[in-house]
Formats: sequence, structure tokens, C-alpha cells
Amino acid sequence: MVAAAGSRLDKLSLDTVKLVFKRKSMVDTYGGRWIPVNLPAANPLRRMFSLSVFDALPEDMEEYWNEQYFQGINPPEVLSSEEAVLRFVAATPGAVGYIPASRADARVKVLLLVRPAADFSEPR
Amino acid sequence: MSAARAEPGDDSSSYQLGRGFPVGDTGIRFGGYASVEAGAPSPGPWEFSVSDLSLFTTWTDHSHWRFFSETEVGDAFTAGGNQGLSTRNAHFELERLYIDRLFDDLFSLRFGKFLTPVGRWNLLHASPLTWTTSRPVATYDLFSKHATGLMLHGGFPVADRRMDYAFYADLTDDLDPYRSENPFNNALGSHWLYSVADNLELGLSYVNYQLHDDPSHRFNLVGVEGAWFYRRLELNTEWVYRNGGLQGLYQGFVQGVAPLVSHWYAIGRYEYFDQIQEPAGQLGVFGLAFRPVPPLVWKVEYRIGTHNETSAPDGLYGSFAVLF
Repeated sequence: MVAAAGSRLDKLSLDTVKLVFKRKSMVDTYGGRWIPVNLPAANPLRRMFSLSVFDALPEDMEEYWNEQYFQGINPPEVLSSEEAVLRFVAATPGAVGYIPASRADARVKVLLLVRPAADFSEPR
Repeated sequence: MSAARAEPGDDSSSYQLGRGFPVGDTGIRFGGYASVEAGAPSPGPWEFSVSDLSLFTTWTDHSHWRFFSETEVGDAFTAGGNQGLSTRNAHFELERLYIDRLFDDLFSLRFGKFLTPVGRWNLLHASPLTWTTSRPVATYDLFSKHATGLMLHGGFPVADRRMDYAFYADLTDDLDPYRSENPFNNALGSHWLYSVADNLELGLSYVNYQLHDDPSHRFNLVGVEGAWFYRRLELNTEWVYRNGGLQGLYQGFVQGVAPLVSHWYAIGRYEYFDQIQEPAGQLGVFGLAFRPVPPLVWKVEYRIGTHNETSAPDGLYGSFAVLF
């Protein structure tokens, strides 16, 4: 998980990531608005992230997002690539996203290492 | 989005069923839902209606303000055994209209017209989100489905799990020019929802209120709710108890949903509802739903019960609903 290099945040817990990406937590501890960003649902990293954090694939969360939509809450915005996530997060206060650890550079600060679920494999 | 734009090729700027249509980077999104219902109550003529055409408008400044409205044309077209297709029952409703000020996760302040937070069903009552065409009696009979006023709401951690709360005050129905059916005259209430696990939620509601249509009484209503999910299995229950009128009244339901083949689901529901000046009613609802994608559902159900002629008559009911 990464935020802009200048973010006041130093770390995130997995529970916080879960709340932020389910849009249950809207505001960080400093009063700033969270802006979580996702990769497209078919992206392998998105699918690994979703299984590791929510124990569910993106398509399994569609009903949850339909219910949230009915209550005026939209899912995180989707960016097209890991580079797009890097650029957006680096330039946007409050933005948090996920990229492979090897892609983190000076533009961003690593807040949490999310390890793949031990049994990471997609149901066939 | 604020500092950088989403790149071409992402799916945030394109339309997706059930997510609404974002208007560029304005923070505005339009969406809604539609439903068509048909019923053959026993006894009684068959009936058909384009029951809901609902439009959502949301706006956020991506900072601390959020606006939401839901305007609805109810019964836009109706037909039945004793009438042809007609628009004479069409009516406009302002279902919701509110603005939220987010201070932090613990405190947000809402002003406007919102759904009364009693139980889960009333907050998620849209046809595309429910499994049956008919709505349990306990989710609308004893209280107003809407409140107009102020709500303080938020969430906080309890034992590593999240507790969501709401305190609200319905100040006066004069604030709502498009009065709902049997609105509150005034009300004070609270709703608490605890996520015991990722797939289990338990809730508690309380509201003290006076109804516009029955200003001679002041009521107290207590509600409990539970929702459990396991893969595609669901179990929901809600129960309310109201006193303050001529008699104390209990109402509630238990509903189970089980996946069948492919996108088909079986639904079973038991309902119990005390009634004023009538014996308590009981219902069984047995249904099938076909949900090829989450925002779209076809439903059919048979309802049968005792002392239910007034509130929820026996019969065959079906509907189609889509969230767009």
C-alpha cells in the first residue's frame, strides 16, 4: 500500500485498509479525506489484493457495492495501470493505492506490505 | 478526482450497470433503478404496475461534503383486472434529499430527508436489492419509512470490529413538501449496527415518535435485526415491538436465501405481525429469483397466510427490477 511521499501517514493496518477500500472509513486520522484507488477488476494484482484483504474476488463484492450505491456511496475509482496508480497517488493528497513492492519509488511512501493470502488461487 | 485524472482505458469513467453515470470530474453521478410488478392476489383482480422509476443524484467534493437525492415516479403505469393501462395512479415522490458533512469517521452530520434507520430492509428497500417482490409487513407498518431533519452518524471500532451508529431527529413533517405515506410528526431515534464478523451483522433500533395520521398517541418502537451471509447463502431477520397506542404490537420476519443452479435462488420467509383490532397475522413467502448479474433480478413468489387479508393478501406475485 502506498501514499504520496509527503503523506503524514507512516503506516496503515490491514483493518484500516479494509475499511478504506470498502468506503467505511472516509477520513484519515489527520482529518483528510481518503481517496482509495483500484486497478481494473481483471488485473491480477487487483484480484490478489481483493482476495488477501477481503477474502473475496472483485465480482463477489458487486452486491455489496450495489447496496452502497443505493446509499450514495461509490466504490474506489479505478485506474488503468500500476504506473497510473503511482502517478495518481504521488500527486494526490489522501490517495492510497497498491502496487507491487518492487515498483515503489521515491514518489511514494510504503504504508503496508500486503502479502498474498496463503492459499491464493482463484476458484475455477 | 482531484489532482490527477483517471487515464483513458480505466473503467471509472465508463458506464457500468448498477453504478450510475459519472459526469466527468464534477463529482456528480446520476443513476437510479426501475421495477415492474405484477400480482394476482386472492381474492381480487390481477394487477400490474411500473412501480418505481427512481433517479439518484449524488455529488461529492472529494473532501467533506456529500449530497444525495432520490426522486421517484411511483406507479407510472398501472393496469389490472378492472382497468386498462393507465397513468392515473402516477405520483411523484421525493424519497431522499440530504447533505452530509463529514467531520471524521466518528462524526458526520446529515440534514434533509432520509430513510428511517429501523432495521436493514428499510435502508436497502430498492427492488433490485431485495429478493422478494413483496416487502415484509414489519419493515413499514408501525413506523414512517422516512424522517426529515438531522442525523448524527458515524462508526468506531469495538473489539476490532466496527460499530456504526446513528442518532436522528425528525423535526417536523412541514419540512417535507412531498409527504410520505403516514410520516412522522416528530421523532427521536437511534440505530446501532455491529459487524460481529465479516459475514454477520447485528443491529438495534429505538425510536420515540408521533405519527402525522395519529397525533393522539406517542409511540416507542424497539427493533432488533440480524444478517448472516456465507458465500451465497443468506439469513436475515428483523423484529420490532411498539407500544404507546391502544396496544403493544410485535412484528417481524425471518428470511433465508439459498443458491440453486447457475443464477437461480430459492427464498423462504416467515412473517408474524400483530394488528390493531384484528388477530395477529402470519405469512409464508416462497419464492424464486433469477439474478444473472447483481444489479438485475427477476422474481416470482407465492404468499400464503392467516389473518393477512388486509395487510398482505395471499397470491402470486412477480417483478423485474434493475439498478442503473
